[in-house]
Amino acid sequence: MTLREQLFAYFAEHHPRSMTGVEEARAVDPARFDQVAERFLSWGIEALGQDFLKLSADAYVTFSSDVILEQGRYELRGRYTNDSFEACKASVYHDREVMDEYLWGVYVTNFLWAHHMELSIFFEDRFLKRLPASPKLVEIAPGHGGWGAWALHNRPDATLQGYDISPSSIDIATRITKAAGVSDRATYTEQNALDLSALPEASADALICSFLVEHLEQPEQLFAVIGHVLKPGGFGFVTGALTAAQIDHIYEFKRESELILLAEANGLRVVESLSTSPRRILPKAKELPRSMGMLVQRRTQNNW
Amino acid sequence: MSSTIDRLTDVFRDVFEDDDITLTRATTAKDIAEWDSLMNVALMLNVEQSFGVHFNSSEVSGLKDVGGLIDLLDARMGAK
Repeated sequence: MTLREQLFAYFAEHHPRSMTGVEEARAVDPARFDQVAERFLSWGIEALGQDFLKLSADAYVTFSSDVILEQGRYELRGRYTNDSFEACKASVYHDREVMDEYLWGVYVTNFLWAHHMELSIFFEDRFLKRLPASPKLVEIAPGHGGWGAWALHNRPDATLQGYDISPSSIDIATRITKAAGVSDRATYTEQNALDLSALPEASADALICSFLVEHLEQPEQLFAVIGHVLKPGGFGFVTGALTAAQIDHIYEFKRESELILLAEANGLRVVESLSTSPRRILPKAKELPRSMGMLVQRRTQNNW
Repeated sequence: MSSTIDRLTDVFRDVFEDDDITLTRATTAKDIAEWDSLMNVALMLNVEQSFGVHFNSSEVSGLKDVGGLIDLLDARMGAK
C-alpha cells in the first residue's frame, strides 16, 4: 500500500466522517494528489517516524473540526472570535502542545482540503515554474515548512531563508527540510518578520508567505515587508483567508480586492490569483470561506 | 416533557432534512448517509442552540454516537 492508501485506510477505520472531504480533495486531480500526499507524508514519517500517519490524520480531524466549528460560531456572531494578536498568543502560539498539533493539521490540509489542493497546484504550476536560476528564496512565517521544502525539493539550485516568530514552527520546519533532504539549503531564524530592519532590502529573488496575513492586526505591514524584501521583478507566492474563521484569525478580509489593493499599495503587481473555497459549506451559511493565492511581482516601474 | 432523545430526533430531522430519522443510543454516522465531518459540526451547533448548551471542540470532534451525545447533554443540563 502507498502512504496515501494507508492514510485513507486509517481515516476509513478511525475517522469515517472525514472520508467525504478527503475523497473530494483527491478528486481535484488524483495523480497530483497522490504525488503531493506521498511527498508530504514521507517527509513527515522521516521526521517523526511511522506514527506520523496516525498523528497527522488525528491532527487533521481535530484541526478541521475546529475550523468548521469556528466558522459556525462566526456565522452566528458575525465576527471572528479574537481580534488581537495578544488574545491568540497564550492560547495558541505559545502553547507548544497546541501549536504542534495545529501545525501538523495544517501541514496535511495542503492536500487533504480540496480547495488547498488547488492552491498547491497553483503553487507548483504558477509560482515554482517562474523562479529564476539559482533563486534565493525568503519564506515569511514558514509554519510547518512544507512550502519551502517543496520549493527546495523541486529546485536543487535554490536556497531558502525562513523567518518565524514561533519556536515550534522553527523546530518543525527544520525537521521537515531535513527529512526532505534539503536542510543544507535552508536556514530558519526565530524572528518577527514584520520587523523591516530584520530583512535586507531587495534580497530575495522570490518569496513565500502562506496564510499569515489574516493573523495580523495590521496586514499592510506584511505587504510592506514583501515589497521591501523582493528584488524588482521578483515573484512572491502569497496566500490569505477571506471570511474564513479560525481561532487565531483576527483580520477579516471580505473580498478578494482587499488583498489585491494591499499588494498594489506596496509596490507589487498581482500577476495571477486563485480564489477557492471548500466543496461544501455549512447549511444556510451567509459567508463563503475562501482561500486566495496570489502570484505577486515586485514592480520595476510605476505601474508594472 | 420530551426526553433528550426525542428532542435530539427533532434536531437531527431538521439538520439532515429527513423526517424518517429514528434515533437510538447506538445510532452513528454510518446510519445516516449525510453525517460527515461538516454536518457533524452543523448538527452540534444546532444541538447547542436547541438545548442552550455549549460544546468545546474536542467534544464536537470526539462524538462517537447518539448515546454519547445524550450522556453529554444530560451531564451538561444536570449541572445547570
